[in-house]
Amino acid sequence: MHLSQATRIILMVLCAGALAFLYAPIMTNFVFSLTADRFPTLPISGFSTQWYELAFGDDLVIRALLNTALVALIVAPLSTFLGFTAAYTDYRFNFVGKKLLMVFALLPPLVPLVVSGLAMLAYLSRVGLSGNLSAIVISQIVLASPFAMAIIRLRLSQIDGDLEFAAQNLGASNWRAFWEVIIPLTKTSVFAAFLLSFAVSFDEYAVTWFVGGLNETASVRVLSFLQSAVSPRINAIGSFTFVVSMSLILCAQFITLRRFSKEKL
Amino acid sequence: MVQKFSCSRRLFIKSGAAATGALAMPNILRAQTITELTMLAWYGQAEPDAVAEFEELNRVKITPKYYVGGEQMLALLSQSPRGTYDLVHADAEYVHQLVAADFVEQLNPSDYPLDDFFHEFHKFPGHWVDDKLYAMISRFGFLGISHNLDAVSRKEASSYKLLWDTKLKDKIGHFDWHLPNLGVLSQYNGNEAPFNLSEAGWSKLKETTLELKPQVRGFYDYGGVLSSLKSGEVSVMPGIGEWITGVLRRDGANVTTTIPEEGGLQFTESFSIGKGSRKAELARKFIQYMAGPEGQFRLANLNVFPAVIPSKRGWKRMIEERPEDARHLGMFEGSGNAMDLIRAGRIKIRKLPVQQDLADWNDFWSEYKST
Amino acid sequence: MQKPALSARRLLYSSFWVSPLPFWLTLFFLGPLLLLVWLSFWDVRNFVLQPDFQLDNWVKILSANYFWQAYGRTFLGASCVAAIASLLALPCSLAIGFILSTRAKLTVLGLFVVPFFTSYLVRVYSWQIYLTDNGVISNLLAAIGLETGSLLSSKFAMQVGYVTLTLPLVVVIQSISMLSFDRTLINAAYNLGCGPVRVFFSVLLPGTRAGLILGALFAFIFSFGDFVSPTYMGGGKFPTLAILITDTVKSGQQWPRAAVIAIVMIGTLLIVALTSLKLAYRRK
Repeated sequence: MHLSQATRIILMVLCAGALAFLYAPIMTNFVFSLTADRFPTLPISGFSTQWYELAFGDDLVIRALLNTALVALIVAPLSTFLGFTAAYTDYRFNFVGKKLLMVFALLPPLVPLVVSGLAMLAYLSRVGLSGNLSAIVISQIVLASPFAMAIIRLRLSQIDGDLEFAAQNLGASNWRAFWEVIIPLTKTSVFAAFLLSFAVSFDEYAVTWFVGGLNETASVRVLSFLQSAVSPRINAIGSFTFVVSMSLILCAQFITLRRFSKEKL
Repeated sequence: MVQKFSCSRRLFIKSGAAATGALAMPNILRAQTITELTMLAWYGQAEPDAVAEFEELNRVKITPKYYVGGEQMLALLSQSPRGTYDLVHADAEYVHQLVAADFVEQLNPSDYPLDDFFHEFHKFPGHWVDDKLYAMISRFGFLGISHNLDAVSRKEASSYKLLWDTKLKDKIGHFDWHLPNLGVLSQYNGNEAPFNLSEAGWSKLKETTLELKPQVRGFYDYGGVLSSLKSGEVSVMPGIGEWITGVLRRDGANVTTTIPEEGGLQFTESFSIGKGSRKAELARKFIQYMAGPEGQFRLANLNVFPAVIPSKRGWKRMIEERPEDARHLGMFEGSGNAMDLIRAGRIKIRKLPVQQDLADWNDFWSEYKST
Repeated sequence: MQKPALSARRLLYSSFWVSPLPFWLTLFFLGPLLLLVWLSFWDVRNFVLQPDFQLDNWVKILSANYFWQAYGRTFLGASCVAAIASLLALPCSLAIGFILSTRAKLTVLGLFVVPFFTSYLVRVYSWQIYLTDNGVISNLLAAIGLETGSLLSSKFAMQVGYVTLTLPLVVVIQSISMLSFDRTLINAAYNLGCGPVRVFFSVLLPGTRAGLILGALFAFIFSFGDFVSPTYMGGGKFPTLAILITDTVKSGQQWPRAAVIAIVMIGTLLIVALTSLKLAYRRK
């Protein structure tokens, strides 16, 4: 876009400001995970790694981290698949009641987490599914797939609907046309959807707390710490999850960048 | 196989080192081969400082589900299949609900060393229903005014009147639970039985409470109470006690709890055996351990917060080994100790409202927070 | 001869795509919600839920003053977040969409996505260190002669929490629509003699409307139901509907009354969302 140098600079500064706003708490989190005090206060009296030792010497924390990884790895692909089917349905097919169906598919994130938590616990405990990891997976998929759907739908809305039919007119079957036309054009957004679902699963604490029973994920552990015993262990676990997700995203970007430079988008 | 595991576990504990990620994996595998005892509890009750020795002695791993507040505990129990929790750790006022909803097993008093306890706790009213025992008291504490000594002296805190002091505007905090807050304000209003209020008494209490709102900085959960008192965000909190200020003092904060002239409240923790527990025998052993001298000593000094214990033998050990902490908690010989406060009638047991519905108290609390 | 086979295949193809999500959601989302509606007519006796059909819960909640206060507060708060987060995100998505090089835009977009992956709870917890008495911000302000004291337990702090929650998502949604915007349109507008301001308002904004509205909508939805920021940033002093629900559940197992509040919340969000979607995807 033809923008004056001044406009460019202002926009860049504002963008950097927004990033600073988002990263400030994350950075403090690192700093305070290394303090000697039990309650985060200024000035810092000393540094120590005791909170990491405490946090990772805690069976509950280790179990929570393993649960988180397991759950997110099941939830993300399933949610992406379910989200894709719905997005593609909206894009490709026309039938009576489609609009209603799409509204229905977008509903779950509209429902406040506390409410979903209550409702799902009441429901799942009546069908004998509450209190285990599958309950967590089931409810997190409900929460994550609409996000996957939204991201993919956004991409699909930019693709000319006639492309697929054109491919079919040239003799391609439904599946073939889908494979040749839709997949290449949406794979980046599918990947974005995967990451988004992963993030939703990784971050989910409220519904998981309700339906998980004795099973905790890392974010539920943090909520328990926050409610019951403020301690820099929260910062220690937070820093750890931050490092993990940072590496994840960097990998993702590496892959995406390679593809982008090939496609010259 | 079992031999091997227990051996490596002992080594693990002896080395005392923090588990790294690599060590943690086998640690979990081990956990599966060891008997698991589940516990629904307030935070801290199943941390190593409380249960490590018991776990070691009985080759058991205690898995806790921590809750915040008795209502949440009841909600969790009512949504879980019978037998999910082997042990239930509760406040005395909820034991009757636990019994009414059939969530806990009856206990046999002769299983436990009640003779070691002060006689006030031989038949603690909240734990007995129809002359049957359902919960064993584990520890207790008092609630009054907790304050930052830099801002408010002990003398100033000798009456709840302090709360309305203009210099404390925006410096009063509440632990976000109606029962202890309304309880101490009811004592300020001069009610002998702070939770047994006539219609007139209840209206008066609501009026008194609403007048306090302009002074209030915020409503906090347990974690929030700790950090707001520590940071100086809040100077005074009614209806809490040494269970908060004791923890903060360990961390160097200049705070304490005073029981004002109008009186204070007593909270009581206890253990019960969950209905349908398949490990009831082991759960009984656990309660016995916690009522014994070693368990009692550990309970008095829990990392999560210190508290008074009902065992005379426990007191003795505290006075010998931790005289400083014992004194702060009111566990010393001579007049003015914790038992004297109870016997002098200055301390009332925290209860559920008698004449109103609990929902009415909660509705009012929501209204109070909202105005 | 071929025709039936063809349409059968087509039916198979379409049902493969149409059915999975509705199936899952009916079972694990609609089911729980219907149970919740039913629950709102139940009774609670001695802390135990009793199936019943009575309107007491609805009457009680809808006639409670504090409920409507909380409702107004929540709606207003969420609207502010939608506006603030959208405005803050706009320069970011413009920079990502039109200024940065391909490599840089992906890096920056990635930087916006990362906070989404770190626990919102931990980030809110960290904000407390900035905003509390003697915190980073009040120390900074004191250095330039402004005595603020603690900024926690205020509506300002609550907005900080909400924006922390929603900003990454809004930036990402806006950026996607900026990135996919057809650049030739902008060049065409320039060639026709439009200035940058004109291009922004008459070409870019209408063209990326869907992304802008969706971003604001997500910000509204997320903050409307959030209980973390009101609890830990607002100091519980400004009870929102989400807090009211947890308080109500805590109150003697009053799930039915909590269900009433929940249904009102869902209804409100539904109306807001449908209105926004209509605006977003309306054809000219």
